[in-house]
Amino acid sequence: MKYRVLLVEGNRLMMEQLANVINQTPDFELAAKYQSDSDALGQGGVFKPNLILLDVENRNAPEILADFRRVYPDTSIVCMGDHWQAEVASHLVREGARGYIIKPFTGEYLVKAMQQFAKTGMEVTNRTVSFFSPKGKSGKTTVIANLAMCLANKTGEQIGIIDADLQFGDMAVFFNLKPKSTIVEAVRDVDFLSPISLSGYFTEVNDRVKVLCGTANPSLSDRVEIESFIRVIHMAQSLFRYVLIDVPPGFNPTSIAAAEQSDTVYLVSMINGGFEVQHMRRALEIFEGLDRHEEIVRTIFTRVTPCDIASQKRLEQELGYPVDCIVPNEYQIVSNAADNGRMALDIEPDSQLTRSINKLAAQLTGHKQIRWDQP
Amino acid sequence: MAEEKINVNGTVITFFSTASAVGKTLVSCNVAAELARLGHRVCLADLDLQFGDVCNYLQLMPQQTLADAQNAIHVQGDAFHVEQYLTMYTHDQTRFYVLASPQRLDEAYNIQAAEVRKIIQHLRSMFDYVLLDTTSMFSVLNLSMLDMSTIVTFLGIVDFLPTIKNMKIGNDTLKNLNYDINKIRLVLNRSDSVTRISREDVEELLGESFDYILPNDFKAANRSIKDGVPLVLGGDQTPLGDALCDMAAQYTNRGLDDEVYDEGNNNSWFSRLFH
Repeated sequence: MKYRVLLVEGNRLMMEQLANVINQTPDFELAAKYQSDSDALGQGGVFKPNLILLDVENRNAPEILADFRRVYPDTSIVCMGDHWQAEVASHLVREGARGYIIKPFTGEYLVKAMQQFAKTGMEVTNRTVSFFSPKGKSGKTTVIANLAMCLANKTGEQIGIIDADLQFGDMAVFFNLKPKSTIVEAVRDVDFLSPISLSGYFTEVNDRVKVLCGTANPSLSDRVEIESFIRVIHMAQSLFRYVLIDVPPGFNPTSIAAAEQSDTVYLVSMINGGFEVQHMRRALEIFEGLDRHEEIVRTIFTRVTPCDIASQKRLEQELGYPVDCIVPNEYQIVSNAADNGRMALDIEPDSQLTRSINKLAAQLTGHKQIRWDQP
Repeated sequence: MAEEKINVNGTVITFFSTASAVGKTLVSCNVAAELARLGHRVCLADLDLQFGDVCNYLQLMPQQTLADAQNAIHVQGDAFHVEQYLTMYTHDQTRFYVLASPQRLDEAYNIQAAEVRKIIQHLRSMFDYVLLDTTSMFSVLNLSMLDMSTIVTFLGIVDFLPTIKNMKIGNDTLKNLNYDINKIRLVLNRSDSVTRISREDVEELLGESFDYILPNDFKAANRSIKDGVPLVLGGDQTPLGDALCDMAAQYTNRGLDDEVYDEGNNNSWFSRLFH
């Protein structure tokens, strides 16, 4: 499909620059360009545009958008701003914009943005889930990787994984990925990024599952600024229906920031014959400081043997807190899968592990959420 | 005091890994116990600040922790007496001391590497051996401790690929720190557990062989944790306990026939310290 673009940009020089980019981009042609809204509203229809690029920077964006929606009810409208503003973008998308991009843009960026918007629209409802563990070796990477695949299969939605276990993130190994860029570059560049360009930092597992991989070596991890990390999470939220975040063990700036940006935090611990339940209880005490923590904070125990209701009840009693999910010890399946870059879910679709992951996915998707309807 | 004594700094041994749950706490407790049994003055500091298990493994109920020590050193400066913040572990004739990790997580969160360094320096001047149990990451604290260690015992297990990858990264990073080659001792724990990867493959990947290999004995290890008694003191001979004894002996420059410290003597070094 060829895009016939109606460009509305108040700044003369910017308008000319963008017009040139549009004309030089394959599958895009400039239908008309206007500096004034009134002209665009009154005259643009003559050129039958099917895409409006509308400057909303420093203006009453919702009102202008409403005017254009009224005059061009069947035309996709993409708003443009000088830099990424998550709240403005998601508000405009909720009000009927197709998406929000940053200007000036390149042809490549424009193509990518339109592909992204065509595929998923821009997400306005998102669930962000972080996976916290008191100590290392919790089994959470296995849970996240399998859960992502399961959610993608069940919902057909876009799933983004952020591997924020900054020193020893294993997500790339689990999926057998060779990432070209990692969370370090994404966080470094975030001031110049929008969700569309951020998506290029994710490594694709398949059509629906993408991973922002962890650092390639531990000495890089101190380059991750927390403020910027939070901005990366916010942008990812408008790219993916589900964002799953793997964080380093224990309480640290990264794990705390991720938890604060999440609507669900799973505390994950592996039963290993030690003091896991006590550690989990201590961690829960800290999370009790959060508003609505009973709603937000959930628990998962892995390597539970036998993996049955009785064990779950016993753990709940010991912990004094609901246990959402127990995952069996499937060392052979999981290690075989991880060593080969495959998912346990695919290798053993009937295993108890798969059933546990399915249950977890059902909990996450079962929540009633109002979705923005794609035009 | 009548005569001036030369300050002697004891040996600092850090137990470190970059893969979690490889047995750092179990091994450090046992090495501490064995060195103490051989008559050395030993202190084990739990630097897994948030979720340390040393006191769990030894069933200690510490009244004072690293957090109290940090507060004190801050306020008291030179008048600081580290021994007030230690918890004693005894079993039969053996005793050693533990610097417990903070009781509360908020205390743990506020521990400063620079202060810990000072505290370890105090410990070093009082004990023959200061053993440090750590977390599995290159944190500011851990790097500082690695720097001031005499020996870094880098533990690993052969588990599955992600673990091996993290061991490799950890070992490479340690090499980048340019420590003397003798400073780092590579230890393989749970060597004969059922895995899909061979030890030889791991050694090839790491580019060096393990200095010490501990057998897998999950049952004995678990029992000792439940009983709160290190394997080397437990009385039952187990292959793992024996291996841990041998390993501890390699941290001394004397043979195993070293004269065992006479605990019956009330003029023990510690009673002198605490007068």
